[in-house]
Amino acid sequence: MNAATETDRALVDRVAKGDRAAVGLLFMRHHARIYRFVARQTGSEMMADDIANEVFLELWKQAPGFEGRSEVSTWLLGIARFKALSSLRKKKEDWIDDDDAAQVPDSADTPEVVTMKEDKAAALRRFVDALAEEHRTVIDLAYYHGQSVTEIGEVLGIPVATVKTRMFYARKKLGEALKAAGYDRGWP
Amino acid sequence: MSAAEKMSRRDEMETLLPFYLNGSLEGAELEAVEEWLATDPAAMAALGEAEAEFSGTAAANEAIRPPADALSRFAKALDAEAGPVRAPGQSWLAKVFGRVTAMPAGVAWAAAAALLALVIVQSFERPGGKGNDFEVAGAQGDLAKLPFALVKFKPDAKMADIAAFLGQNGLKIAGGPTADGVFHLTIPASTAADYDRLVGLVAAQPFADTVIQGRKPVDGG
Repeated sequence: MNAATETDRALVDRVAKGDRAAVGLLFMRHHARIYRFVARQTGSEMMADDIANEVFLELWKQAPGFEGRSEVSTWLLGIARFKALSSLRKKKEDWIDDDDAAQVPDSADTPEVVTMKEDKAAALRRFVDALAEEHRTVIDLAYYHGQSVTEIGEVLGIPVATVKTRMFYARKKLGEALKAAGYDRGWP
Repeated sequence: MSAAEKMSRRDEMETLLPFYLNGSLEGAELEAVEEWLATDPAAMAALGEAEAEFSGTAAANEAIRPPADALSRFAKALDAEAGPVRAPGQSWLAKVFGRVTAMPAGVAWAAAAALLALVIVQSFERPGGKGNDFEVAGAQGDLAKLPFALVKFKPDAKMADIAAFLGQNGLKIAGGPTADGVFHLTIPASTAADYDRLVGLVAAQPFADTVIQGRKPVDGG
């Protein structure tokens, strides 16, 4: 546990006692990451703007019930994930089942086309963006949000084994896309 | 047997590398990855590939820029929010500053500086980690070198008013409040004159209680 995490928890304790200033500080600390997480979940910055605000209003309401079983960042990501999915369901957008995730082709253009004039870093970034949502989310949560396997399971509401399976396929697809673009990295 | 159980050792290690890189791996899995990195010639190359993914993912996320007025709009929404049953209604800053005691400016500054140093140290995030995101104040850069002032707000100040003023003038709260209710405000000034003007502007606001000059740009330096 690092000092910043302890401070987050202390701030949530203050929020639980009605301290609005503490909500503002937590907003400044975590809003950008929550906003980006939702934007990448929904593909809509407009939805991300609304939902990110709702997440922190939810924090204000739910702080008295926060028991500290997870990190504050994990808790907020979980709220954001739930709200993002709820919003998407309201829009009646289709979602794919977990079991099908590995079978569904990702939405990228053919790697050969999109990377002809790109360097490897740019190609990699594009391939990450183009991953299926299930795969991109675990990549984002691990690499950008610093979440552990267990924490990702909490955020997404899936077993640890499923987190690992999704990570495996996500990295496998990235490797295949890179290989197809001429950047063989030796695995898979 | 599940898909995870069918993984080869290489597959398993590749799956764990992102968690090794973000520092969340522990126990037997951490030992396994470290042993693999130490003994398999292909492992270090694999780690380099994972680091490239790490960078690419960070870049993809950082390319998304939250609206500049997000804090201001949230502040208004929060001010309108009754929230759960708690203490009697009082502005958020009134609660923060309710315990502020009158201190000589020099003493207050020293106390605030010591506490702010702690706040700032805590605010830096490790790559890919769960640290704070003081992006509004440029935590990615060298916060310690930015011009700043220390500010106390009046007890009846409205968060929405403060947020709107800060947004309009490019001012950002980088830390605080300290136990004494002092905020660390970054001042986007490149000259001493700009700094004086902005700090004077802050001091003139009806919600400002005390403004103490901190680091000031040195002209010609």
